[in-house]
Amino acid sequence: MIKKLRQNPDLLFGTIFTGILLLIVLVGLIHTPYPTTQMSAADKFAAPGLMHIFGCDQYGRDIFSRVMEGLGSTFVIALFTVLIGSVSGVLIGSLCGYFGGLLDDALMRVNDVLFSFPSILLALVIVSLLGTGSVNVTLALGIAFVPSFARIVRSEVKKQAALDYVQSARLMGASHFRIIFVHILPNILPVLASSVMIGFNNAVLAEAGLSYLGIGVQPPRASLGRMLSEAQSFLFTAPWYAIFPGLTIVLLVLGFALLAEGMTEGGRDAS
Amino acid sequence: MLLEVKDFGIEFHDHDRPERVVEDLDFSLDTGEILGIVGESGSGKSLTGLAIAGLLPRKKLKKEGAILFEGQDVLRMERSALRELQGDEICMIFQEPMTALNPTMRIGRQVEEALRIHHKEMDAAARKERALLWLRNVELEDAERVYDSYPHELSGGMRQRVCIAAAMVGGPKLLIADEPTTALDVTVQAQIIRLLQRINEEEKVAILFVSHDLSLIRQISDNVLVMQKGRLVEKGPVEKIFSEPREEYTKKLIAAIPRVNLDE
Repeated sequence: MIKKLRQNPDLLFGTIFTGILLLIVLVGLIHTPYPTTQMSAADKFAAPGLMHIFGCDQYGRDIFSRVMEGLGSTFVIALFTVLIGSVSGVLIGSLCGYFGGLLDDALMRVNDVLFSFPSILLALVIVSLLGTGSVNVTLALGIAFVPSFARIVRSEVKKQAALDYVQSARLMGASHFRIIFVHILPNILPVLASSVMIGFNNAVLAEAGLSYLGIGVQPPRASLGRMLSEAQSFLFTAPWYAIFPGLTIVLLVLGFALLAEGMTEGGRDAS
Repeated sequence: MLLEVKDFGIEFHDHDRPERVVEDLDFSLDTGEILGIVGESGSGKSLTGLAIAGLLPRKKLKKEGAILFEGQDVLRMERSALRELQGDEICMIFQEPMTALNPTMRIGRQVEEALRIHHKEMDAAARKERALLWLRNVELEDAERVYDSYPHELSGGMRQRVCIAAAMVGGPKLLIADEPTTALDVTVQAQIIRLLQRINEEEKVAILFVSHDLSLIRQISDNVLVMQKGRLVEKGPVEKIFSEPREEYTKKLIAAIPRVNLDE
């Protein structure tokens, strides 16, 4: 394991970045250095230092504590977004790819329509129908992410379904359900895994984008996107306010991208 | 009679113009018989094999005539009844042992698949015992190790043996072999042919051996069908076809068998 990490710098740094951030999220669940909503006039725009390592915002709230909380909600929302998107995408994509025909045509045309809008725009539409709040944002992003997963899974299932082992399973008298889920699905896991990783990153960015626009996690709960949008007005008085939440997003996405890259590379070496 | 194919035809309807790929095919197969189907590419021999296995798609092609397996018409059977037959009574091995096995499943599980589906009363230990029995019966050394391996850990010849074991584990009455040795080298090819002959004798399983290789067909079959462009050219006992072919096409095919003569 250690040896593998040393040979694969992508995997190494990906694991380190993601590990650190995950640790911060987990610690943030039980303890933050300061209460995330505690204001203090004396600490208004306090520069990063020993008391506040990331500094303070315009209300004197500790930015590090708020980053911890915001990172947590970003993580959870991105996770559930990808979960909704990939599970529905796998269901739709495998049915379309396996059965083909009219079902495939119908579902894929709907998919094309959804696909033609940028997912963030689609999410915006759904949020405006459902209302703001983190549950609705997760739902909206999840739905917006279905088409890309469905498309990837469909083409992979189509490819696998043409192979003899599927024919042979059918000849064994296996049901369609069994063929799709027991025989084919394990074979598309590598592709699915990397698209889940990429999907997670897109979800992180989309969530940050939505909360930047003010329709994600609602105040007083902290969110990275909203912190960025507030920090914009104080870019010159308190640059750390923008830098640290921004850096956190960059690290999160970079870490996950490296992890995904490293894992595909590791998979290639193994096979 | 185990299998009777009557006036069988296939017509593709997936293009503007219907295309007949198999026409007026008549033949039958007895229990324990080995029937070779020989023909060039596109003669419809593989399609015939797939049709008997019930693997042709239901849409986009028209099927005529009847394929009677123990009196039941495979072409018009309920899907659930067909599934009962498939894997239990009728099995098939394919040309490419590389793709015929699921790369993410251990060999043991794949050999047991037919038992898992058709013999639900068997418990895990009985299934494993039966799978190992068949892995040994197809002359795989170290059957226990193979049982726990993944397909990529085996050679092509070993994989084809595994496919035969997976097909035979449920005790079928008919084994369809669609060019089972084409992807293998000559020595392995001869071993697989001998293995199929032995299994045929011991288990009394009828084998439908589809190939373009006349010398293989001559070695293994009792009777031969010669097909060309979807039509039956000639059928009969293997020695008769080879010693006194009646049709011009059959004569040409036989003349095309490469001969090695070291004296010249």
